[in-house]
Amino acid sequence: MPFPTTPEAMTTTPSLSQDQPKLSWTRYLGFSTDAKVIGIQYIVVAFFFFLIAGFLAMIIRGELLTPPADLVDRTVYNGLYTMHGTIMLFLFIFPVLNGLNNLLIPTMIGAPDMAFPRLNTAAFWLVPVFGSLLIASFFVPGGPAYSGWWSYPPVSIQNPLGNLISGQSLWLLAVALSGVSSIMGAINFVTTILRMRAPGMTLFRMPVFCWTALAAQSLQLIGLPALTGGAVMLLFDLTVGTSFYRPEGGGDPVLYQHFFWFYSHPAVYVIILPVFGIFSELFPVYSRKPLFGYVYVCVASFIIVGLGLIVWVHHMFPSGVTMWMRNLFMFTTMLIAVPTGVKVFAWLGTLWRGKLQLTTPMLFCLGGLINFVFSGITGIMLATVPIDIHVSNTYFVVGHFHYVIYGAAVMGIFAAIYHWFPKFTGRMPYEGLGKLHFVLTFVGANLNFLPMHPLGLMGMPRRVSSYDPEFAFWNVLASLGAFLLGVSIIPFLLNMISSWARGPKATHNPWNAIGLEWLLPSPPPVENFEEHVPTVISRPYGYGTGLPLVEHQAEIERQLILQEASA
Amino acid sequence: MTTTTPQPLAEHGEAHGAHGGHNMTGFIIFLCSESVIFLAFFSGYALLKLSALNWLPAGVEGLEWRTPLLNTVVLVSSSGTIVLAEYFKAKEKIWLFRGFWLLTMAMGSYFLYGQAVEWGGLQFGFTSGTYGGTFYLLTGFHGLHVATGILLMAIMLIKSFLPGNYVGGEQGVQATSLFWHFVDVIWIVLFLLIYVWQG
Amino acid sequence: MTASPSSINRPAVLGVSLWVGLLIGISRWVGLQSYQWFPVQASTAAPLVDGLFSFETAIGTFVFLAVASVMGWVILRHRAEKYDATDAEPIEGNTKLEIIWTAIPFVLVMAIAVYAMKVNTRLGVLGPMEHIHLADAKEQQGGYPGDRLPAETIEVVARQWSWEFRYPEAGVSSTELHLPVDQPLTFRLVSEDVLHGFYIPAFRLKQDVIPGRAINFNLTPTRIGRYRLRDSQFSGTWFAANQADVVVDSQADYQAWLNQAAGLPLQAGISDAVTEYQKRLQQTPTPGWATVKPAPPPQVNVPGSNALPHDA
Repeated sequence: MPFPTTPEAMTTTPSLSQDQPKLSWTRYLGFSTDAKVIGIQYIVVAFFFFLIAGFLAMIIRGELLTPPADLVDRTVYNGLYTMHGTIMLFLFIFPVLNGLNNLLIPTMIGAPDMAFPRLNTAAFWLVPVFGSLLIASFFVPGGPAYSGWWSYPPVSIQNPLGNLISGQSLWLLAVALSGVSSIMGAINFVTTILRMRAPGMTLFRMPVFCWTALAAQSLQLIGLPALTGGAVMLLFDLTVGTSFYRPEGGGDPVLYQHFFWFYSHPAVYVIILPVFGIFSELFPVYSRKPLFGYVYVCVASFIIVGLGLIVWVHHMFPSGVTMWMRNLFMFTTMLIAVPTGVKVFAWLGTLWRGKLQLTTPMLFCLGGLINFVFSGITGIMLATVPIDIHVSNTYFVVGHFHYVIYGAAVMGIFAAIYHWFPKFTGRMPYEGLGKLHFVLTFVGANLNFLPMHPLGLMGMPRRVSSYDPEFAFWNVLASLGAFLLGVSIIPFLLNMISSWARGPKATHNPWNAIGLEWLLPSPPPVENFEEHVPTVISRPYGYGTGLPLVEHQAEIERQLILQEASA
Repeated sequence: MTTTTPQPLAEHGEAHGAHGGHNMTGFIIFLCSESVIFLAFFSGYALLKLSALNWLPAGVEGLEWRTPLLNTVVLVSSSGTIVLAEYFKAKEKIWLFRGFWLLTMAMGSYFLYGQAVEWGGLQFGFTSGTYGGTFYLLTGFHGLHVATGILLMAIMLIKSFLPGNYVGGEQGVQATSLFWHFVDVIWIVLFLLIYVWQG
Repeated sequence: MTASPSSINRPAVLGVSLWVGLLIGISRWVGLQSYQWFPVQASTAAPLVDGLFSFETAIGTFVFLAVASVMGWVILRHRAEKYDATDAEPIEGNTKLEIIWTAIPFVLVMAIAVYAMKVNTRLGVLGPMEHIHLADAKEQQGGYPGDRLPAETIEVVARQWSWEFRYPEAGVSSTELHLPVDQPLTFRLVSEDVLHGFYIPAFRLKQDVIPGRAINFNLTPTRIGRYRLRDSQFSGTWFAANQADVVVDSQADYQAWLNQAAGLPLQAGISDAVTEYQKRLQQTPTPGWATVKPAPPPQVNVPGSNALPHDA
């Protein structure tokens, strides 16, 4: 049921400057229920943890500069790589994507806020709580969890000190809270998208970002409980001595792997689908062309959801799974390339014969796209069992997933931040620093992660604190790339802070983009369109068609321009 | 250029409550997600049972099923009494609603009591291999949901005495009732898996 | 609104064909290069795996270069003029193109999958995988006699953190794996504690070793030399140091080694973890965080070495 509007509101426009209370920056420190505030809170907290996990990565790559384990103790190394992965996934990437969801979903669909604003606040505030648990785990006796972000038993239930409160038990508690937070968010996002769209916005007039958000959050709802179930059993094995995964008691360690990957494979689509959404939003803006094959792109998102739920065993090919299982999951995994390819070709079709503007967001999208294609190819290789038997659990896999996550997803997230920064802060980011950030990121990511592929092919296992000398050359290159990536964050942080503080003021639509969010002031009022929700009359991305997106669009634009002139 | 005074935000907040249809949507989505955790436990149980070398712990012959069957009948019947309660609510017979609602709570409590008695009399514990682990995990997690359901019903019962409680709609009662049916369906599957499939 | 070409642009078709030809040439070359990215081929599995990888590399190179070419072309030739803020042609889609670029990738990935399944079958590595009772903490020499299958030649016992290899027929044990060249072998993989990974890159083969199971694994070495066996499934503190050497010998030399080994008394085998752990105990304060204590080194006839130069 779309949000109701009064007949008067259809012919009048918001004149808000006199009604808008001056909003204090301290609202970002409190328990606001405004999705736009919560979105910023998620993003800032996420980047705080990104810096921590990134610092851990610097130590890891420092250790791996030379073959022997000479920088940190092996126990420390194992804790570091475990927490690097854990923090990056649960405290950076999922929260930052939820931040984007909060900012973009209501504004893109013309809703005043999320369906359940207080649930939204609760979901966000769980993040600093379980974040603190994970950081605290560094300081308990025995140190943090050390069995990788997968926490495979029996290693993860060995608990050398025998304490109830251990790094591993804190890890499990934190991940459980993370799951609760994510499910709360997912319920909110799905309900909002399904029930609160503007009049006239049918599903096939909804921006792709909302489609991919819907797809990704559906995966969270279906997959997370399986992880929770598996983790609960692990926690009992660890703390009270049950035998779900303990072979001496008749348990099966491989059972945990099934639970873990049943969620964690779809989790990677939870990560990449929103990024696909970002690419689908930005390529049209900066090519000045409609998204090629919009309907196919939307439908492909849900084909990916379906297939994404039936491929998880490809993470377990060398494990205790039978040959028929290996073949079956090889086939299902290969199939995912098809809807993914539809999207990639759609973006290429959008770029083709466009009028490209190589702004910072566009550069990040282009760089992200080519990195993604590369990682898609290594993904196909990994899907084929005979290759995977050789390279699974080697640096080939580490290279593959870092290409997807850093090379594609993080770059897409940066693109989104630069693109929507003016809308939600009311300031323009500095283009020069943005381009510098892009160059350092693109070079650093490729230098860091490309050498991992030959390392894996040559047989260097992952998660090792030391390695045979023949692997030194590529490791040195990779470490140099990592340090460059560390440096690349500096222009980004400088840009964000100084632009928000004193960047040039942004108009309502600095990129001349088409979308409901661009028909709001920058930054939007607390309840976005309030009672004046426009009626959508066209499909999105109508560049070059000359068609308005909404009724009375000219009047709305005029009002916004007048507002900006008088401000 | 004409303007109308924008409606005050306070009214707006109530307008938010008016699409309280969202609450049921959200709750149904939550229940679907919750069912997956039970599915995970069910499949774990099945896998461990099928691949076990020695499924039953030493000294354990199997589970007694007659008393649990009685408890099952009580619990499943309570789905019927809660439907009756809602029927009377729709007919505006508030005291009959409360009566059948309370009866449902009592039947649920009886079920929990029966579960506790069964637990107390068993020859194996939570750490008795995969048999003990899965049994207590499944029945315990389900029992937690029964307890939650009774608690929700208690809250709804108390709220039924507050004036104007149902002005915005009856989602609380509907959601609690839906939750109770969910708990019952889960139990039926559980009963089949644990007590019937003992081969 | 869909765009439709009005006439065939001959130079464009020629140019694209030449470029595609070039990309095909480069892809085939890169596919051939890919063999060099691997260690030396030392088992019957290796040529099959390398061949499949080369095929995938060639196709992947072509796809990557094709996409990069399109992107390069649009970045170079389809940029907006400096002060041009107008829109481009409103091309919204092309159903025929959608069908083509759905069907071709579908056929391609299915073809690769079928090829890979055939390679899988030819590799034939995985044997029966049964659940077993975990024996007492200290396993007896000879493994689990009741569980043993006839084809099994060599038993591999993985521990935190050492590899023990047992030859039940010859009554020999070692921490250096000796194998006869060109002979099909069946391993019995067992773990006494946690998950480990039995991985020999030169053979292109890997199998997780799962406590509570005995897994049969088949392979045939084809090249005489010394290769690395690395633990590939994270197994705790000294996971990275859990490496052993695999020595592939001629049939005669292998037999001679077995005969000689049978007569040697049992002694402590290789465990780098134990050595490092002793050093760790000397340090005050104890470095790092908590660790599980390493299992004592296995008592074997031949410790061998894992510090000699290896071929791969």
